[in-house]
Amino acid sequence: MGAPEAHRSGAGGAIPPVLRLVGLTKTFGSFAAVDQVDLDIRQGEFFTIVGPSGSGKTTLLRMLAGLERPSAGDILLRGERVNDVAANRRPTAMVFQSLALFQHKTVGQNIEFALKMRRVDPAARRERAYQLMDMLRLSRDYYGRSVARISGGERQRVALARALASDPEILFFDEPLSAIDYRLRKQLEVELKDLHRETRKTFVYITHSLEEAMVMSDRIGIMRQGRLIQIGTPDEIYTRPLNKFVSEFMGEVNIIEVEARADGWLAAKGLERPLKGPVMPNGLVHGHLVVRPESVRFIDNGAGGGADNVVAGTLYNEYALGSRVQYHVKAGGRMFVVEKLRELRPEATLGAAVTIGWDARDSILVPD
Amino acid sequence: MDIIAKPLARRLIAVWTACLIAFLYIPIVCVFLVSFHKGRYFSFPFDDFTFDWYGKAFSSLQTQELFLISLKVAGVVTAISVVLALFGGLAFARFNWRGRTIFQHLLLLPIFFPQAVLGLALLIWLTYLGVLPSWQTAVFAHLVWIAPIATLVVSIQVYGYDAAQEEAAYDLGATRLQVLREITLPALSPGLVSGGLFAFLLSWGNFPLSFFTTGADSTVPEWLYTRMVAGYTPMVPTMGALIVVGAAAVLVAGYIFIVWRRRPIGG
Repeated sequence: MGAPEAHRSGAGGAIPPVLRLVGLTKTFGSFAAVDQVDLDIRQGEFFTIVGPSGSGKTTLLRMLAGLERPSAGDILLRGERVNDVAANRRPTAMVFQSLALFQHKTVGQNIEFALKMRRVDPAARRERAYQLMDMLRLSRDYYGRSVARISGGERQRVALARALASDPEILFFDEPLSAIDYRLRKQLEVELKDLHRETRKTFVYITHSLEEAMVMSDRIGIMRQGRLIQIGTPDEIYTRPLNKFVSEFMGEVNIIEVEARADGWLAAKGLERPLKGPVMPNGLVHGHLVVRPESVRFIDNGAGGGADNVVAGTLYNEYALGSRVQYHVKAGGRMFVVEKLRELRPEATLGAAVTIGWDARDSILVPD
Repeated sequence: MDIIAKPLARRLIAVWTACLIAFLYIPIVCVFLVSFHKGRYFSFPFDDFTFDWYGKAFSSLQTQELFLISLKVAGVVTAISVVLALFGGLAFARFNWRGRTIFQHLLLLPIFFPQAVLGLALLIWLTYLGVLPSWQTAVFAHLVWIAPIATLVVSIQVYGYDAAQEEAAYDLGATRLQVLREITLPALSPGLVSGGLFAFLLSWGNFPLSFFTTGADSTVPEWLYTRMVAGYTPMVPTMGALIVVGAAAVLVAGYIFIVWRRRPIGG
């Protein structure tokens, strides 16, 4: 997994990338929305760009689709420069954040739009529409129905079918699931991943949710202030986040500000005892210790084993998360997040004194 | 709180509503009644009923000319207003440019000018430029007042329209022209029809602007006024009834189109 060769591109790489970005930049006035992005996207991969709003991910995707012209740098599609090729001439299709279904057209007319623009005859168009509707498990009865009269999940499928109709080489997704409720989103994430598997097309997806990216992607790029700061498989991002920014993106994790001491231990603000953790990289003094909620456990005084790092605090509150329970523990002037399986929940009342701990090997040390 | 009306309250509401509707519509109904009346002055109940004045109205060259001019003015005003309103609405709703809000206010301001003053101002201006007032100058005068209203009506639809639909069409292979024909115009058509209806009806019934700016030409409302002042005949309510019928016909046609466009497609 994650063989270094696979990362290398250009003359030494085995398969040339389907999409190559070289120093891609987009400026608005003096502000660089996308700043010198270099990236190779491989044939058939599900690549997700994750970043907070304003990180430039939408601008980047719009340049790839041809809806925005780069200020500098190049976009190479199968080795050919496509900077000046307009969106309607690129062999790519986009699924928009609002889905942008044609409200005055039927489901069938929406799906067939790209084919109509390519002057495919109506019978062949209809056949293709039915084929896509079958693949996306959209009842053929919907063919003549207005898109204003179908549910949210069905609208998603129509948008997918419409983008797939002309058999594009690459599909772009601009946060299409961001406005959908949790249950349906989880279901559609799975369906999208399955669709990727079935079509074997290259998917380029953007989202602000690393959790969503983890579920679906082959590789993830983390974007911040117009730059891609870390690229890797979900596993690599999860186990080796580049810095504090990437760690914070992973949802609820404990991030403890630490300083290296001469004896190899880490001094943490607010905690009396120094912490044991990974060795601070050469030259670095200041860093952040990342500990996942599920790596923290409650230590019974007396019974049971201890841990490398032990912190005493009080149980502030608990939150049921289905099969898991999350606890917030106040200690050393901060809140620790602890997550346990339901059967492992401690017998402590709110406000009671508890001791929590974790092992050094379960923590990651990251720079700012 | 009990918000379900008691029987008495409900009856009072019904009476009040009926009074209100009567107040709004009885005058117009009266014009129709008078137009079927043979004598010079209105009396009720009718002493004599006739279609004569309608026959005279249809056969008279003068009334045909009046309707033709009203129709020409309203038609041209509608066509130009709809085009201006489309571009104006798109410019307002879609782009956030410097001075947009100020420009928007400035453009809508003429709606609130007293029309007589606006007409007078335009007449002075036309005289100064040496342009002879005619139905064409009336078109210009109407546009000053009507185009902003049409723009407002169309803007409402443009604001509620997801412009990403156009990008999606472009991304799916449509040319700019195809985007306009397949997406923008059909999607905005109810708004454009509403704007057109406003433009036509406001121009069709307009008196003060026409009065100052048509010169030797005359529209039906102008004729109604001049005949009221001097030379009243029962033809006056007949012509009045006819322009109401004309306006109603246009309104119904527009309404049918909008309902048809919003019809649910398929099951």
